[in-house]
Amino acid sequence: MTLDVKSVTKVFTGRRNSKMVANDNISLRIQEGEIFGLLGQNGAGKTTLVNQILGLITPDCGDITLLGESVLGSPARARSICSVQPQSQVPLGFLTPKQAVTLMGKMRAGKKFDPKRVEMLFEELDMGEWANKEGEKLSGGAKRLTAFCMAVIAPGKLVILDEPTNDVDPVRRRYLWQVIRNLTNDGTSVILVTHNVLEAEKAVDRVAIIHKGKILKQGTPSEVKSSVSNQMRMELSLASESELELPNWALSSHKNGSRFIFAMNPKDVSQTIEWAKGHVDTGLIMDYSLSPTTIEDAYIELTSKKAVGL
Amino acid sequence: MNLLSHYKYVFQMQFLRNAGFFVFMILIQILISIGIVIGFTYLIPDPDATTILFLATGAPTIILIFTGLVILPQQVGTAKTDGYMEFMRTWPVNRGVILGADTTIWLIITMPGIIISSVIAHFMFNPGYDISWTIVPALLMIALTSIGVGYGFSYLLSPTTSLAISQIVVFGALMFSPVNFPMERLPEWLQTLHEVLPIYSMAEVMRASLAASTFEATAGNYITLLIWCVLGYGGAIFILNKK
Repeated sequence: MTLDVKSVTKVFTGRRNSKMVANDNISLRIQEGEIFGLLGQNGAGKTTLVNQILGLITPDCGDITLLGESVLGSPARARSICSVQPQSQVPLGFLTPKQAVTLMGKMRAGKKFDPKRVEMLFEELDMGEWANKEGEKLSGGAKRLTAFCMAVIAPGKLVILDEPTNDVDPVRRRYLWQVIRNLTNDGTSVILVTHNVLEAEKAVDRVAIIHKGKILKQGTPSEVKSSVSNQMRMELSLASESELELPNWALSSHKNGSRFIFAMNPKDVSQTIEWAKGHVDTGLIMDYSLSPTTIEDAYIELTSKKAVGL
Repeated sequence: MNLLSHYKYVFQMQFLRNAGFFVFMILIQILISIGIVIGFTYLIPDPDATTILFLATGAPTIILIFTGLVILPQQVGTAKTDGYMEFMRTWPVNRGVILGADTTIWLIITMPGIIISSVIAHFMFNPGYDISWTIVPALLMIALTSIGVGYGFSYLLSPTTSLAISQIVVFGALMFSPVNFPMERLPEWLQTLHEVLPIYSMAEVMRASLAASTFEATAGNYITLLIWCVLGYGGAIFILNKK
C-alpha cells in the first residue's frame, strides 16, 4: 500500500477562538499504481488533507503512513516520496519550461535524472513550441502544463495533482490524462484533487467525495454512482407544450416548459427508445436523449442533498 | 542525495527564475551607492575629510541594509502572495538549503555596487580608505545579519506589515541612523535605541574594516550583529519548518 490515512482530524482555530473543522475523521487508502480522485466543493478540506500527507501541517489526531512509515515522524521523507502540482500557478519568472522541469528533475532524482524524459514529456504534451520561452510570457495553460511536468518528471511513489487540467485546452487535456495513466504503469500512485467531476470520472480508479471535512462516499466511480441511484434518465424536447402521456414504466417525471425529464429502470431502456421514436415520427417530440446517472449527479446529490433534474 | 547537490539545483532554480530582476537590482545598487557618495556632497557644502570618509564608508552599509531589509522582504512578500513560498515548502530538500541558496544570491547582488562605489569614491575624493583584512569577514557578517533579519521579519509577518517595516527602514537608515554621520549628532534616546538595533553596529564594523587607521569597532558591535543574525535566520527557519 502506498498511502494509508487513518482517522485524520484537523481543526483550525481562527480569530476569537472560532473553530473550523477542515478534516473530520478522514480515512482512506491508496494502492500502488492507483489513480485516486478526491472530489469536493471549494473549502471541502481537500487541500488541508493533501498538506497533511506532505507533512506540511500536522493532524490534530489520526495518523498518515506513506509506504508503511508515518509522515509525522519524518516529513522530509514524505516530501521526497510525494511530488505535487499545486492548485495555484507556479510563478516561473524568467525560467523556461525546459529549465524549470530539468532543475526539478535533478532536485528529485539527482544523478539518476534522465534529461530524455523532459523531451519525452514535452513531446507527449505537445509543448515543444514553449520549451525555451520565458515563463512570464507563457499562457495560463502552458504554465499549468509546465507545473504538471515539474510534478511528474521524477515522480517518486505518489504524485498529487491539484486541478491539473485548469486552463488546459481540450486536446492537450487528453494527452495529459494519457501521461497520468502511463505514470501508474511504473507503480506510481496518483491523487487527483478536483471539482471537475465529469472529467475525473473517466480518469480515476477510485474516488472519494469529501464534503465539509468528511468523506461522504468512496469507491469505484460506479460504486459511488449506484449508491445514489441506479436509474436512467430520459430528456425530451416537446414540439409544443401540449400534454404528452408518459409510458407507465416512467418512475418520476418533471416538466419545465417544453423540456420533459423522466427516470426509469435500466431494463426499460429499449422500450423507452421505441416509445420515443414513435412520438418523434408523429411529431410530438422534437428530440430526445437518454443518459445514465453521471457521477456528477451523484456528487451533487450527495453534497447538496437535492435531487438532480428529477 | 547530498546537501551540496541540492544546494546547487536550488541555487540554479532561484537564480534563473529571477535572473532579469537581479541584473536590474545590481544596476540600481550601483546607482544608489554612487549616489550616496556623490549626492550627499551636494547636500553638505564644503565637506571636510571626515565627512567624506563617513559617506564613503557608509555607502556599502546602506547597500547591504537596502538589500537585506528592503528589497528582500518585498521579494518574500511577493513569493508569499503568489503561492511560490508554499510551493518551495513542498520541495524534497532541507529548508536550510533553500535559505542558504537564496542568501548566496543576495550576497552576489550586493557586491558590484559596493566595489564600484568604493573605487569611484577613492578616485574622486580620496577619502582615506585603509582597508584591513577584516573586510571579508566583516562584509559577510554585516550582509548575513541584514539578510537574516530581513528573512526573519518578512517570513514571520504578513506581506503588508513587512512592506511597511521596510519602508520605515529605508527612511530611517538613511536619515536617522549613524551610518553616514557620527552617532553623537543624534538625540540621546535614538542613540540608546541604536545601541540595541543592528544598524549602528553594521556601520561601525564596516568603517573599522574600510578605514582601519581612523575607526575601530568594539566587541559589543560584533556581538550585537551576531545576536541579530542568529535571531533572523532562526526565525526564518522556524517559519519554513512550521506546520
